[in-house]
Amino acid sequence: MNGQSQAAENFVKRIFTFLDETDSQQLAPLVQWFQPAGCKIIVNASAFPQPAGFLETWQRCVVQTQHVLTGVDFHVIPGTGSAVCSVNGKVRFDESGRDKAGQDAAVPAPAGAGVGPTGPAGKHRPLWGPYFGLSLQLVVDERALGGDFNGVISSFNYTMVYRPEDSLMVV
Amino acid sequence: MNNLFQNSNNVGVAAQQAVLQNRVKVGVKGWQNATKQDLVSFVSRKTRIGIQDSYVEGNLVIGFVNSRNEASSLLNWNGVRFAGNALKFEILGDNVGLGGAPGTNNTIALLKAFLYKRYNPQAKMLDLGNLRNDPDLTANGLFSTTSTQSKMFPAMMKLASKEDQMVVESVNLSNNNLKDLNMISSLAQTYPNLKNLCLANNQISRFRALEVWKNKFKDLRELLMMNNPITTEPLYRSEIMRLFPKLIILDSVLLRDENKLQQIYSLPMKLQQFFFETNELGQSSIDFVSNFLNLWDTNRTQLMALYTPQSQFSVCIDSSVPSSSVPNSDQNPTFSYYLPLSRNLTKISSDKTKQQRLALGQEAIDKLFRSLPKTKHALQEQPLNYSLEAFSYPQVNGFIITLHGFFDESGAPEIDANKSTPNTSGNRNRRFNHGHGSSTNKLTKKSFDRTWVIVPNPGGVVVASDMLTIRPYADGSWLQAQAQPQAVSQPPIQSQQHPQSQPQVPLPNNPQSQLPNVIQPQIPGVAQTPVPNMPLQGSVGVPLLLPPEVQSKLSPVQLELLNRLHQQTRLNAEYTYMLADQSGWNFDVALKGFQDSVNNIPREAFI
Repeated sequence: MNGQSQAAENFVKRIFTFLDETDSQQLAPLVQWFQPAGCKIIVNASAFPQPAGFLETWQRCVVQTQHVLTGVDFHVIPGTGSAVCSVNGKVRFDESGRDKAGQDAAVPAPAGAGVGPTGPAGKHRPLWGPYFGLSLQLVVDERALGGDFNGVISSFNYTMVYRPEDSLMVV
Repeated sequence: MNNLFQNSNNVGVAAQQAVLQNRVKVGVKGWQNATKQDLVSFVSRKTRIGIQDSYVEGNLVIGFVNSRNEASSLLNWNGVRFAGNALKFEILGDNVGLGGAPGTNNTIALLKAFLYKRYNPQAKMLDLGNLRNDPDLTANGLFSTTSTQSKMFPAMMKLASKEDQMVVESVNLSNNNLKDLNMISSLAQTYPNLKNLCLANNQISRFRALEVWKNKFKDLRELLMMNNPITTEPLYRSEIMRLFPKLIILDSVLLRDENKLQQIYSLPMKLQQFFFETNELGQSSIDFVSNFLNLWDTNRTQLMALYTPQSQFSVCIDSSVPSSSVPNSDQNPTFSYYLPLSRNLTKISSDKTKQQRLALGQEAIDKLFRSLPKTKHALQEQPLNYSLEAFSYPQVNGFIITLHGFFDESGAPEIDANKSTPNTSGNRNRRFNHGHGSSTNKLTKKSFDRTWVIVPNPGGVVVASDMLTIRPYADGSWLQAQAQPQAVSQPPIQSQQHPQSQPQVPLPNNPQSQLPNVIQPQIPGVAQTPVPNMPLQGSVGVPLLLPPEVQSKLSPVQLELLNRLHQQTRLNAEYTYMLADQSGWNFDVALKGFQDSVNNIPREAFI
């Protein structure tokens, strides 16, 4: 029991670490965790048919994130070899105006308009916005609770449940 | 000489009259254990407000104070102890000594009229340029002293925020001799979603002065600051970019790429209230949830029919407090009824506890149900406050329903888990030996996420697993997404044209007449095709072009629907028509269908 719940907690924490990754190379292994056929990915009530498509969108169109785990519970459904995991957490976004690649939306300053914003000198530091509330339901193969995460996720339902008004993010 | 004397005498009389006119009649209750004079001296000592010409009437001491302000600050002293009693002050409005209140009302009416005079509903623009030279304001002395000046703008903003029919997207504050934003800082509270702002021809010279607006005006798109000393600062551009992270155009020059900016500050997955894998699942899960919660609120034991000896139920408390900027979030939640039951695996370490807090089978589930506070859900009354996802779960031949929402706690639980801790050592080792007051047990609103695993069986359905997370109340994230569908985005093409066409335009000497065009570059372009209540979205702002033979068969309602769909989806004519046709010409159904299948629509379907 303790081993299982430890594994469940680690599993969720590692998913969060993957999602917070800015380097697409580092995010790629997460694809392997999803069941190759017929897996359901629902994010903010929009469905993604393929995990690769979801992760690509996440990588390309979502700025850097930081997830914090605040609650985990799970039930093993007897006789099915699967378990349901209910997760709560918080997530905040890099609101510095740069995407994961460090690109911002500024257009170059016209000549004579004074010094423009300084170029991307080295790695930029994220400017974290306020936390959003997060609720995540996972259906996983029972193997995940033994520490084997390969191809275990059969559904992934990720929903933001509350949002701060002072965030710059439009969700 | 005589004349002069006469005059000054008149002035004196007039001044006295003015004082009398401004007097406000007040009454004091609860003074009975002392004399009237004692009371008046006490009030004057304590509050520094003198009550004049006082007399006793019944249980009241009645008198006059010098101004409305004094009267209202007197009200703040309600409850102050005097001679063993709490005093109660009241303003006796009606038979006031000749006015005071009417004076305030006059000012309000005057400012309101002024606001409407300066408001242009077509341009959604409030023109507050050159206030000190406005004949109405100066004639009424609103610029006579610095103190009235500094009070006037906040007062005006307060009035404006109450005028719901005044939709303001642009504000002009040019030519006001402003050195900083002290006087006008309340603009950010009144119009947090302002899109265009003009501060041209003022005296603003320091970035510090603008700092009060940092992170305000998150939708501000265009700012005009020409003819302010600050514009010559070398860091002007980068500082303004830092202060207004979503600003697109500064002084008619393009600052940011609007498309890129939108991409950075938005999620590709827009929040929606519902997700159903299939339509049938939608209806059945809504039915299930409403019936379940109805019984959950009224008679939980009846729910036992849904559970089997293998069913599992557990409660998980997520006590993390949402940021105070989350609308209506509970910053001081209490979970004392729940904490002894919580199976939040990130918080408990003992194996035994984890096992104990999982209820398996009807008996254990029933006991856990009765250990939770009595509740009232508002699924029928406030359906917008709930969000639901339902999808199939092939391993159990059933499905999963997840509901996010809130409930009111309407009563203490039948079984108090704090008191029923099995413990033979009596009171000594009880949980919360110290300071466990009943105040921590107060009943409040809570937010929750609940996930049911449902398996259909011949007699109906069985709940295989039921997981409830309880967390501090906060408004659902999907709520605002409903109220404000999408921020109206401006055509990016125009924003690029704008800087090329504008720099040659000389600064208007009379900003009242010229500025609407300057700060609202989109108005001329849109004027030919006014489409009320419709978001203008870049290149798709134009109506859909349908083949004439198709168009002739459609009703105006259908055409309008097609255009709306086209604008929302950016699908081409053929696909828009297909989508509308397949969804039975119901806009919401069509849009939902589009959103569900957007990933499978071929590229060529879009314009």
